[in-house]
Amino acid sequence: MWHTQNLNEKVQEGDEEMKKAAKRNAQILAIDAGGTMTDTFIIDENGDFVVGKAQSTPEDESVGLLNSARDALAYWDTTVEEEFPKLLAGVYSGTAMLNRLVSRKGRRVGLIVNKGMEDFHRMGRAIQAYLGYSYSDRLHLNTHRYDPPLVPRELTRGVTERVDLFGNVVIPLYEHEVEPAVRELLEQDVEAIVISLLHSYKYPHHERKIRDIAKEVMKKVGKEVPVFASVDYYPVRKESHRTNTTIIEAYAADPSRETLIKINNMLKEHGANFDLRVMASHGGTISTRANELARTLVSGPIGGVIGAKYLGEQLGIRNIACSDIGGTSFDMALITQGDLSINTSPDMARLVLSLPLVAMDTVGAGAGSYVRIDPNFKSLTLGPDSAGSRVGVCYPEGGVETVTVTDCHVVLGLINPDNFLGGEVKLYPGRAYEAVKKQIADPLGLSVEDAAYGVIDLLESQLRNYLESMILGKGYSPSQYVCFSYGGGGPLHTAGYTKGLGFEDVLVPAWAAGFSAFGCGAADFEYRYDKTLDINVNDGAADDIKLKAGKELQAAWDELKEKVAAEFEKSQFSRKDVDFRLYFRMQYQGQLNDLEIEAPIEAFKDVNDWDELVNAFEDTYTRVYAKAAKSPELGYSITGAIVRGIVEVPKPKIPVEPLAGETPPQEAFLGKRNVYWKGEWIKADIWEMEKLKPGNKIAGFSIIESPATTFVVPIGFETYLDQHRIFHLKEI
Amino acid sequence: MAQYDKYDRKTIEELIDGTIDFFKLKEMLSNFKDTDRFDKYISILQERVPWDDPILLPAGLHLYIVQKPDGKRIVKCDCGHEFCEASDNWKLHALIYVRDTEEKMAELYPKMLAQDPEWQVLREYYCPGCATQLEVEAVTPWYPVIKDFEPDIDTFYKEWLKRPLPQAK
Repeated sequence: MWHTQNLNEKVQEGDEEMKKAAKRNAQILAIDAGGTMTDTFIIDENGDFVVGKAQSTPEDESVGLLNSARDALAYWDTTVEEEFPKLLAGVYSGTAMLNRLVSRKGRRVGLIVNKGMEDFHRMGRAIQAYLGYSYSDRLHLNTHRYDPPLVPRELTRGVTERVDLFGNVVIPLYEHEVEPAVRELLEQDVEAIVISLLHSYKYPHHERKIRDIAKEVMKKVGKEVPVFASVDYYPVRKESHRTNTTIIEAYAADPSRETLIKINNMLKEHGANFDLRVMASHGGTISTRANELARTLVSGPIGGVIGAKYLGEQLGIRNIACSDIGGTSFDMALITQGDLSINTSPDMARLVLSLPLVAMDTVGAGAGSYVRIDPNFKSLTLGPDSAGSRVGVCYPEGGVETVTVTDCHVVLGLINPDNFLGGEVKLYPGRAYEAVKKQIADPLGLSVEDAAYGVIDLLESQLRNYLESMILGKGYSPSQYVCFSYGGGGPLHTAGYTKGLGFEDVLVPAWAAGFSAFGCGAADFEYRYDKTLDINVNDGAADDIKLKAGKELQAAWDELKEKVAAEFEKSQFSRKDVDFRLYFRMQYQGQLNDLEIEAPIEAFKDVNDWDELVNAFEDTYTRVYAKAAKSPELGYSITGAIVRGIVEVPKPKIPVEPLAGETPPQEAFLGKRNVYWKGEWIKADIWEMEKLKPGNKIAGFSIIESPATTFVVPIGFETYLDQHRIFHLKEI
Repeated sequence: MAQYDKYDRKTIEELIDGTIDFFKLKEMLSNFKDTDRFDKYISILQERVPWDDPILLPAGLHLYIVQKPDGKRIVKCDCGHEFCEASDNWKLHALIYVRDTEEKMAELYPKMLAQDPEWQVLREYYCPGCATQLEVEAVTPWYPVIKDFEPDIDTFYKEWLKRPLPQAK
């Protein structure tokens, strides 16, 4: 996250005069604990924020966090002791759990499965052999590799039982086999036991029986370790996904709980009056005491999407295409009718999982992506690997030898080499020039400037293609969406990758570089629980069939509501404080893809409610596919029930400033700089982002600089800064 | 381009021996091929064989197509046994053992896990010089002996390596 490194400067410079006048009122704390650095974002009541950094302290994360918060507050001339009691909320996201998983440093877990199925976990899904690979590696079988399983075969035991996919018991549970299995695992010193049986989501009793017997055996033996039955956590279809997820719960998540509780206690000791919440994969935040903690495994990249959703809600924008360019990747996500789309079987750390994850499309193209010439075909290639925080050849301390996209920016004059990340990172244009010449321009027989321009043009057209195909591929059109562009590298390319796509509007928040952290602070306190169902109702079915189907769905909702309410109770929220939202997944019978839809009813009461559900499904189906594709004659299947529960929490304020005129103030003008654009050197106006006033209009060719990001307005574009400090980019 | 000549001799030796670390191998597989790989690879093979005929191409495990002083291109084993001209199929000059009964299959596979010899047989090819197993084919019983590949050595040197073929002294 090098692009966020120097946001402090922004706050410092922008608010120099305010700092002396007004006292700060810190309101929201957002923590991003990475493997090496811990970042803290502290947002005040005016929406201003400050960033602190400190070395992470893996043995006790609360130490690094406290140092980081001190660093941040020092920019506001205040202290942890003074500001922590004023905080209304704190959100944590970190990579400690992911690291524990990736480096295989979790608990020693034992696994109990169906007898005869003891190998399925280590065999895994074939896709796990190439998850996280580039497209070319996916096609290249020799690169494929299975990681060591989380639970080795020696710690796996089989117990006889069988339930079919309808939930019928085909072979009863051989209870006498459970005790020896548990005893053997305990003798092998397991630190937790996971139970996962085929189709248990349809018939939970066997797993729960094994769980209860295991607990009795442990008492008898005098050695108690936690037991995790998959149905108590993830009662959903697909045993590889369900088993992986439940194992992660035992292997990495539960041990991380201790860390989180420690951090929470540290915050309280320093006067904080709130319970720390943790960013979770479904796009909400959850308590450190949550039952399902594995979903806090992922959090970083979804922050921006949540921020976009929140900003959209505040500004009344329902359809948003989110785009984020950081050092290593381009992340895209769609918010449609105010809702995030959720991927129910995502992958993380090269494992398929059954967690709800905010759906995002990621490609390995960012500001740090390597640029190379294919030695065989002399064509230009970008990424998929990148220099990340090591920037490029222009940054000698990074030690990079291969040209990166940033080197090309420097050659073209788009980046100010003396003001990169607020001048903290000094870039050497000469080095970039030489490297682009030797590695790209000479082999292609081009001038250095044309070669660098070609790289940027290729990158932007690739990004444009990805963005367009993502939107079209989901059945929508860019003209229905407002594009949000953020991340350290986003605004540099916004014009290039949105050109000609016809978005309704294109927005660049002035705080683009810190947008992910802003998003974490803006996340709801929300639990979401899923359950797999298989309810089939034919076209024109009799009322009693519809009624029975509806009752089954309602029973699932009731069960999930109980789970959600129980979670909120742990944080002292009663049921009446919770805004429950009911969802269902439906498809035409026999089709492969289902749709997740918010239920138009509050509870299923009669046959009319069934028709309401079907109408809601068909409306969505028509929107996503086409009216002509509706196939009611196939009948309907409900494949899942979902309950989301949300309680109100304080969130960051969006800045509101008075409008000034269209002409930018003279003090914002930093001068002119030579920029190479479409085959010629032109003089670009350089503006200082923080000094521009709401209402100002700026035409191309302009470069609007802030320490953490650079916003390029090429010829043929103009931008307008609104009263929320959001730039609108328009093609003219 | 210097940047793709990055693997040292030891790495290529490990690649040949199959002792290379997987993540190193993955990095090599995912990158553009290093421009001098073929030369390094061939020179290691040449160093390891006890004879001096220049290797033109590897022709399988233990086998090479070599240049003879009389201009012929011969398929040759590590041990020095010479099979035939490269245009011919060396398998027709090897010792052949066919597993075509249940008993012979049972020497390799557990019961019920072998192929039905009425449908598929195993043909094993051995070097007459050193008895090394050089190749195994799993084919239907009547299938002709497979010729593994027919490299166009002249075009490879001329248009890909862009240099003349090595000459035997």
